[in-house]
Amino acid sequence: MAAAVAAAVGAAAVEMKKDRFGIGWRPQLAAGIFANLDKIDIVEVIADDYFDASSRKILALRTLAAQTPVTLHGVGLGPASTVPVETKRIDQFARLIGMIEPESWSEHLAWVRGGGLDIGHLASPPRNSASVNGTLENLHAAAKIVGTPPLVENIASLIDPPLSTLTEAQWLSQVMQHSAGGLLLDLHNVYTNATNFGFDPYQFLDSIPLQQIGSIHIAGGRPIEDRILDDHLHDVPDPVYDLLRYVAARTDKPLTVILERDGKYPPIASLLAQLEQAREAVRRGRV
Amino acid sequence: MSTPAFEAFLARIYVEQETRDRFLADPKGEALRAGLTEEQATALAKIDQTGLRLAASSFERKRMSKKAGANRTWLLRLWNH
Repeated sequence: MAAAVAAAVGAAAVEMKKDRFGIGWRPQLAAGIFANLDKIDIVEVIADDYFDASSRKILALRTLAAQTPVTLHGVGLGPASTVPVETKRIDQFARLIGMIEPESWSEHLAWVRGGGLDIGHLASPPRNSASVNGTLENLHAAAKIVGTPPLVENIASLIDPPLSTLTEAQWLSQVMQHSAGGLLLDLHNVYTNATNFGFDPYQFLDSIPLQQIGSIHIAGGRPIEDRILDDHLHDVPDPVYDLLRYVAARTDKPLTVILERDGKYPPIASLLAQLEQAREAVRRGRV
Repeated sequence: MSTPAFEAFLARIYVEQETRDRFLADPKGEALRAGLTEEQATALAKIDQTGLRLAASSFERKRMSKKAGANRTWLLRLWNH
């Protein structure tokens, strides 16, 4: 299966020559996205929503992929763990990739279940050498089955994970140093963790391998007590655009920036305006 | 260091209110009773308690939201059948 899937991803992959700006596909945004494909360079689809999808739903996704570049984004593998990811979960992902032929696929550097319990969302791993090794083994296993390695995303957290001996930047850098795939850099997650745990987000960016960026996420959240919850229900805050500008100034490779929104959907014009702000931030960074 | 047993214990205090309450009453003791190592139990005794409370609440909302979504999907399938 790996060779066929690799060919599928490879066939759809594009050699990027310019910065691209896209949006996360959600059914509530479908009409707005289809009406504005001339302003949206790429669409990111949550893969897990399609693992048990009907043939009609898969056909609709293939139709979308025929009209615009699509990337598949996973939320359920949980590779940042000392426990091996179940092969059946990777197989599901590989099958979907084979059917949709996205230009790339991605997963979070999170763990999502332990001891038979489903946590319900992305949990930040204890940052130590054992979790680095477990993560790399899981990413290697996923790449072997799918045929191509995933882009991997830094996650936001409300809790500073116990048993950590590495900073987030050190942990991420060690994973990226040995990972065959690129980095999906979520700038709202950087902003959130910097706020929640009191580090400088610019120093964080200076200490991770920006040359490995494959894609960038932007989003918004809300304050919760003295922290920020990365809920994707709010507009992108200005500090995230500032971080985007900073990243653009430090890499000359074309960037793919994707806006995530998971609810409290505003009119599509508002989301397009946020994409335009992202374009402007990248332009200013490149000056 | 992280181990599957440590992750399993962490998952329990993230997900199960009763386990979390017992843990917060005696973090190190509860971790040792669960069979974790001295190093792991000591780390858990220093856990970010505000973060634990906020994260557990956020995870619970996500699980409820997923459950509601799954129920909606099931009803739609039944309706379309």
